[in-house]
Amino acid sequence: MTLTLKNDIQDVPLLATFIDEVCETAGFNPSVTMQMNLAMEEAVVNVMNYAYPKGVQGDIVIEAEENGDSVRFVIIDGGTPFDPTAEADADTTLSAEERPIGGLGIFLVRQLMDTISYEYTDGKNRLTLVKNK
Amino acid sequence: MKTTILEKDGELIAVFEGRLDTAAAVETEQALKPLYDCTGHNIVFDCNKLEYISSSGLRLLLGVLKNAKPKGSRVFLTGINDDLRTVFAMTGFTNLFEFK
Repeated sequence: MTLTLKNDIQDVPLLATFIDEVCETAGFNPSVTMQMNLAMEEAVVNVMNYAYPKGVQGDIVIEAEENGDSVRFVIIDGGTPFDPTAEADADTTLSAEERPIGGLGIFLVRQLMDTISYEYTDGKNRLTLVKNK
Repeated sequence: MKTTILEKDGELIAVFEGRLDTAAAVETEQALKPLYDCTGHNIVFDCNKLEYISSSGLRLLLGVLKNAKPKGSRVFLTGINDDLRTVFAMTGFTNLFEFK
């Protein structure tokens, strides 16, 4: 299954509909489906915010493939090479005053997905996220 | 995503209804502005009808908290469902807020 979005935050609800469909096909329960929605939203929003230069419209393609053991999502964009897996995790033990406002996105992706991998091939960023059944 | 602000028994209450995703966070940020004027009041986020929250939404809650604490206002969360509680636990947010 494939979905193409614009790098526009307003397209996020389209992602939710797609993820819901994929998860239903895969037989994930509502709690896991919510977690997949969350992980994918965080990963895709990162791409929306950082992949293309400001003011440039670009496509983001999301592929989803299900096999017996797992569901594999690939997020593909043609923006500047950007490896989100190289970003540091947020420190979740800090107090409210010490907590910076950012950093949670990639942290949540790492917590919620079983495997994350990134490559830059043929001018495209490819971020692969796998959830085991 | 709907956000309603009420004042009840001296508390400022924000009632969430729907999905607080990144797209909804933009307008929700505006809706929460009255909570920044919280001196003398505690704040309650009523999450009974909150179906979903992502990091943009968590950031909004944190922003309200960072503003409220130095003013002596406590910030409570009520009605969090189990799925959302997992997200709060994962991100360490259960240690930042009070639950009732």
